Amino acid sequence: MKIRRRSSNLLVEPPSSATGDIAFNLIVFFLVCASVQPDSGRRQVLPRSEETEQKQEKDKNVEVVVKRQVALVNGDVVPAAQFPARLAALLAGKPRPEDKVVVVKSDDDVPYHFWMTVTSQIEDAGGIITLQIEEEREVQVP
Amino acid sequence: MKIKRRATRADVPSMAMGDIAFNLLIFFVILARAQDDSHLQWTPAEASNLESAGHSIISVLIDSDEKLYLNGQPIGESNLEMKIEELLGNSPPGDRTVLLKVHRDATALRFEPVIESISNAGGELVHIVEEDRDG
Repeated sequence: MKIRRRSSNLLVEPPSSATGDIAFNLIVFFLVCASVQPDSGRRQVLPRSEETEQKQEKDKNVEVVVKRQVALVNGDVVPAAQFPARLAALLAGKPRPEDKVVVVKSDDDVPYHFWMTVTSQIEDAGGIITLQIEEEREVQVP
Repeated sequence: MKIKRRATRADVPSMAMGDIAFNLLIFFVILARAQDDSHLQWTPAEASNLESAGHSIISVLIDSDEKLYLNGQPIGESNLEMKIEELLGNSPPGDRTVLLKVHRDATALRFEPVIESISNAGGELVHIVEEDRDG
């Protein structure tokens, strides 16, 4: 004899009482994933810009020119490996903070990561960075 | 004859707690997004001897397209100094931190004037970079 399975006409719905909790946990999870951003950095103290040139002072300071892939110290190309030692040697005999100023001049196409490497090495050697930025001036020709 | 009062349990309905928390969270996320720059595309450079950036209310970002943003909102280079000055107000030293996030391949032509603006506005500059593990 066949026993017929009892079929109910009731609508079977998944339990929805926990949906809010599940959504909440999902949001927390994605928020935590999304907030993995670096929050560490390098503090850099830069003097405010001055429009007047201090020619005599500048002559005494170390000058670093940053090119796209290389840095020049007082006009000489210095390989990356020798750069920290060269700077340390130049700054060693200068006890006064004003003498430790290193004038940094960068080419327009220098990438940020290389600029950061060079300026970090200057600061680690005890130098105080000053940026030399060329001002653009518009001259109208009559 | 004394009729005893039937003690009924009075519970706070907890059915909707999840939904309330969910809506609150959405509200705060939207509120935070207004000043957030996490949606912008940039890759940090590497450096050594890093320190914690600390608390800051100002974040300047140059993204991979070399576009400039202040607290997640696009801004022109010419307005940056004035806006930072406004936001910093009369904050004492130590509370004038400005986070600078620059895409690693952005060029000096773009980031140097930004650094100059932050410096001129009296901001204490912190470059947001990643620890250089190669040394």
